[in-house]
Amino acid sequence: MERDEIIGGIILLILGLITALLSLQMPIGTFRAAGTGMFPLILGVFLMILSGVFLLSILLVRKKGPGKKESQTRTPGSPWNLILFLGAMALATLFFNRLGYPLISFLLMVALLRILGTKRWTINILLSLVTATASYFLFVGWLKIPLPKGWIGI
Amino acid sequence: MMESLQGLINGFGVATTIQNLFYCVMGAIVGTLVGVLPGLGPIAGIALLIPATFGLNPTSAIIMLAGIYYGAMYGGSTTSILLNVPGETASVITCLDGYQMAQKGRAGPALAMCAIGSFIAGTIGIFGLVFLAPPLAEAALVFGPPEYFSLMVFGFIVLSNVTGTSLIKSLMMAVVGLIIGTIGIDPVTGDARFSFDFPYLMGGIEFVAVAIGLFGIGEVLANVEKPLEMLGQRVLVPRLRELYPTLQDLKRSLGAILRGTGIGFGVGLIPGPAPVIATYASYMTEKKFSKTPEEFGKGAIEGVAGPESANNSACQSAFIPLFVLGIPFAPPTAILLGALLIHGVTPGPMMIGEHPELFWGVIASMYIGNFILLLLNLPFIPFFANILRIPKNILLPLVILFCITGMYTVNNSVFDIWMMLLFGALGFIMRKWAYEAAPLLLALVLGPKLEAAFRQSLMISHGDFGIFVGRPVSFVFLLGTVIFLSIPLLRFVWRKAQSKKHLERSA
Repeated sequence: MERDEIIGGIILLILGLITALLSLQMPIGTFRAAGTGMFPLILGVFLMILSGVFLLSILLVRKKGPGKKESQTRTPGSPWNLILFLGAMALATLFFNRLGYPLISFLLMVALLRILGTKRWTINILLSLVTATASYFLFVGWLKIPLPKGWIGI
Repeated sequence: MMESLQGLINGFGVATTIQNLFYCVMGAIVGTLVGVLPGLGPIAGIALLIPATFGLNPTSAIIMLAGIYYGAMYGGSTTSILLNVPGETASVITCLDGYQMAQKGRAGPALAMCAIGSFIAGTIGIFGLVFLAPPLAEAALVFGPPEYFSLMVFGFIVLSNVTGTSLIKSLMMAVVGLIIGTIGIDPVTGDARFSFDFPYLMGGIEFVAVAIGLFGIGEVLANVEKPLEMLGQRVLVPRLRELYPTLQDLKRSLGAILRGTGIGFGVGLIPGPAPVIATYASYMTEKKFSKTPEEFGKGAIEGVAGPESANNSACQSAFIPLFVLGIPFAPPTAILLGALLIHGVTPGPMMIGEHPELFWGVIASMYIGNFILLLLNLPFIPFFANILRIPKNILLPLVILFCITGMYTVNNSVFDIWMMLLFGALGFIMRKWAYEAAPLLLALVLGPKLEAAFRQSLMISHGDFGIFVGRPVSFVFLLGTVIFLSIPLLRFVWRKAQSKKHLERSA
């Protein structure tokens, strides 16, 4: 937990630093007539100060001793499911225009259902087909939203 | 007063057209579904449905989106009572006694009391809105850029103070939201900021992508990480004839409903996640007022009726700062502000005069929406409860499909889907590391307004920061900010002193 807190603090500190440095490359102006970079520069510096205080407070608590033992219980998660799930979403986004909405929605449902444990292919494919068809008629047929047709052309 | 009544009557004329009634019913139904389904809260729900309103006039669009907001509050209580899983954060407290009632076979009266309490609270809340909004709008006319700046800063601090466990973490998230809000073209100089010559970033980050990512995808990913066997769930579905509360239930709940309404309405006017705070405050009040406080947590009907009324009433009054000042104090109303802007309506003190049909039409539609929800909730509770029987491993892919499709339809842009996925992953990490997403989203929506107010104030004062403390209203907001900032420090000092005393005594 403490390691997560430190990593989070460092990431935010770096984000603040990058914001401030990039802002300095823009016109800053004066307080009377603020330039493009003034507001983000203030925000970057403010984020650095806040993350600095945050990191310092963690280190100070650590110095005082181990303190209270971690009380938060974590459920044993399944990182593989998460990675596969994210991967399937990323692939669907990547081929969204090329394969077209009807096909991509079907394939995405097949993949996500499989990852989340719908192992029987007949049920999986049937569910995906029903969902993809229903969402196609909802968005394209009823709401008349132009979605990518892709190579199947519907 | 008479003007407000006349406005409300005209509003009913607007809200009862066939088209607006249809969108009001749609909003209420979709909202209830959004509240019932895990993985979709009111924020992601409203954000997802914004593209569906593009073809509508602003009044119908906001009527539908507002319906989703208060409909979700109704729906959220169903999962709390039947599953012990709150559909959205404002229903957390309902789990305490609602689920206990369900375990004792009294799920029906608990659900019915939620619907009746929410209806009464919603109705009273609307009258409060009608009579309070116009005078407040008049008062807000004196607000200049310094007052708006200080009010927004005050809002961020209060929201950061009451959400999550760490003030500094919430503040950091607010600053990150403000930084993300600066991406794109500077509205004053026209120069690009942080866009790295990437055309997609010139227009800024799409707030709908951030909202769906952080609140929709983030929640789904958190569920996916759980072991597969945890995704299945057992649902108690009450029968229709079991729904009706007894006379004794009604008698016990009436006071709680009225107190909850008052608390909710008051809390909704101040910055922060109003419905959440209102439910906690109402629960504590009921426990204090009760002759049998020992029943709380074991199935006391007042513990369900009070908080549920409070959260609905807070939802109504949260529209006052949005409509009157143009400043939302919580993420759902921030999303509604985004929707209003998309439809070319800038809320603020002039809104009642400039868009009376929208202002009064939306208010009247809320009354109608509450009535529809009462009709919808009582007989259809078994239907909504049955939706909960759909296993999560089927529901979560469905939510993702809707998120991706909905996101694409905002700008017909695949880049927006990438952004949504990126913020979804960020939302998941933030959940794991206990960072609050609400301050980030609110800051992202309010960021451009805050920057404009900051720059205009300094322009007026020729660069003198004294303008923020020299004007009385602005000074009061900043004083409030300082007080709220010092609360955690004072709490820390108080605890230290107490523990020192304790140590001395034991020595």
